[in-house]
Amino acid sequence: MAGSPAEVTLTQRLLKGGHSGYAPWLDRRPSRDVIERIGLPALRSEEWRHTNVRRWYEAVLANGSSRAEEAAAIAAPAAIEVVDFASPRAAELAAAGPASVIDLASQPLAAVNALLLRAGAVVRAPSGIRSTEPVRIGALNGAFQHVLVHVEAGASLTLIEEPSAFTHRVIEATVAEAGHFCHWRRQARSAERECSLVAVRLQAGANYALAQTSRGADLRRNDIRITLAGSGAEATVVGAWRLHGHDHLDNQVAISHAEAGGFSRQTYRGIAADSARAVLYGRIHIAAGANQTDAALSTKNLLASDAAQVFAKPELEIHASDVQCRHGATVGTLDDAAMHYMRSRGIGEEAARELLLAGFLREAIADAEGAELVGLGA
Amino acid sequence: MSNALLEVDSLHVEVDDKPILKGLGIAVQAGEVHAVMGPNGAGKSTLANVLAGRPGYAVTSGAMIFDGVDLADRLPEERALLGLFLAFQYPVEIPGLSNMEFLKAAIDARAKHAGLDEPSAADFIKRAREAAGRVGLSADFLRRGVNEGFSGGEKKRNEILQMLLLQPRLAVLDETDSGLDIDALQVVAAGINAFRSANNAVLLVTHYQRLLNYVVPDRVHVLADGRIVRSGDHTLAEQLEQKGYGWLAS
Ligand SMILES: Nc1ncnc2c1ncn2[C@@H]1O[C@H](COP(=O)(O)OP(=O)(O)O)[C@@H](O)[C@H]1O
Ligand SMILES: [Mg+2]
Repeated sequence: MAGSPAEVTLTQRLLKGGHSGYAPWLDRRPSRDVIERIGLPALRSEEWRHTNVRRWYEAVLANGSSRAEEAAAIAAPAAIEVVDFASPRAAELAAAGPASVIDLASQPLAAVNALLLRAGAVVRAPSGIRSTEPVRIGALNGAFQHVLVHVEAGASLTLIEEPSAFTHRVIEATVAEAGHFCHWRRQARSAERECSLVAVRLQAGANYALAQTSRGADLRRNDIRITLAGSGAEATVVGAWRLHGHDHLDNQVAISHAEAGGFSRQTYRGIAADSARAVLYGRIHIAAGANQTDAALSTKNLLASDAAQVFAKPELEIHASDVQCRHGATVGTLDDAAMHYMRSRGIGEEAARELLLAGFLREAIADAEGAELVGLGA
Repeated sequence: MSNALLEVDSLHVEVDDKPILKGLGIAVQAGEVHAVMGPNGAGKSTLANVLAGRPGYAVTSGAMIFDGVDLADRLPEERALLGLFLAFQYPVEIPGLSNMEFLKAAIDARAKHAGLDEPSAADFIKRAREAAGRVGLSADFLRRGVNEGFSGGEKKRNEILQMLLLQPRLAVLDETDSGLDIDALQVVAAGINAFRSANNAVLLVTHYQRLLNYVVPDRVHVLADGRIVRSGDHTLAEQLEQKGYGWLAS
């Protein structure tokens, strides 16, 4: 077995150990197989180029799989069914619902998550239910967490992930025909090492909107995988981040258009100060036959210091001919002319800088709470 | 003249080690409107920018005294808080920051400097709307990003709006008249005339005499090759309009 000591120890532990007894209905064999066959992500693999995943393995070994003294906190409106993985009803819902949308082979950390899982919930928006009141996910009682979301045909669901701690979190969602899933993620600044996976599959005419505001962490990695599996599906991803100190944030987003007439938009605005490091990989994959696809990605980044780093890379893979696909990526610094203009109106340098940074992020994120979280409260 | 609101004396300014202003002198009293005219490249914007403290303009000798304060070591925001205002020749676009927020920040900074309470949101909005109305901009322009997508004329109106709102002691207007159609020119002129008072002063920097038909200056100065080469009353502007700048050279 190759790899770093932490990697070897973790792999051995995962393969040797039985599960905790939590959610016994969960089939962990595919996860075990993947770890056995493929192993953990290699340190030098392209997808992990910018994030030293060894440091996450160390955190897994150090934290164990439980996180003490954090009671699960999910608030939901009556029309939405929320059940803990520990309840037999969760097994029923999981069995009755669509198959898993996670590709474990490309997401081995999700396999680690499954083997160490201590906290999970199914969130179901029943067919035709249009709920405006959000489901709020606060803390979940475990380092490894899985939230399974089923938005049934014609239903609509709003889910808010409040800032909370985890070592690995999976949000797995299926949105059936003409369903709507509105997803807010708020990530507060943290000294921890946190990885997450959002995997969403959209059926015909379904709609998914993700708005993610992030502060940095000692290590923070967000994998986001969205598949437009039915015709005319729509996905909108908006991301804003603001990093300081030694923060590390790695966003890996992939939107896959499998059927015709899909629409996707990705808009990112990020600020890195001090010696922080921000990564954004935004992929758009358009399958053969996914004609009349309209996809676009825009990422703008500001470096607020010489030592800050940003890696922003759009990646297109297009196998259909009749499509519209645009992308743009910029990395810049604060506009000196704008700074001077503001100062010439009596606004001090610090205040002027704050207003400029806030304005920059607000182009992506207009939501007040999200803006507050990234430190931009008006 | 020690009681001048602005006194610029033997000012030498370099940009990228290149001398641009070469011993420029001008004195403006409270209650006066002065026009500084001159051909393109004479150094008019350099004068305006160095007064406002724009980085990149090195004062190598001479002095700029504003209301008894030597401007040389003052930051741009300090100059603004002392009551100096520059209407930019090329106002800057700031997407994402609403005009309203920008103006509120400027007003709040000024209130704080004066040791006053910040105006309430309602009071501020009322004042901002009123100023916008006076320059013929709808309230919509207050919600939009600062100068974002504004036409040339709308940007100039927005500069005058800021002047009316901030009520500086000295307004330096750098080619605020250029690129305006006749309606916009009249709106801008009306704004300047409404602003004029015995306590403040205006320095109109312009290439053309046109604006001076509406805002009659007390003094007209001709700036050429970094110096004031001639000063006179408003009739000097008319002469320049007829004869151009060539006859003043040498
Ligand atoms: N940032 C700059 N860098 C280099 N040269 C400059 C800069 N700004 C102005 N200049 C030069 O200084 C001279 C005066 O320019 P300016 O003050 O803009 O003239 P005006 O406003 O009278 O047309 C010109 O020769 C111009 O090319
Ligand atoms: Mg000029």
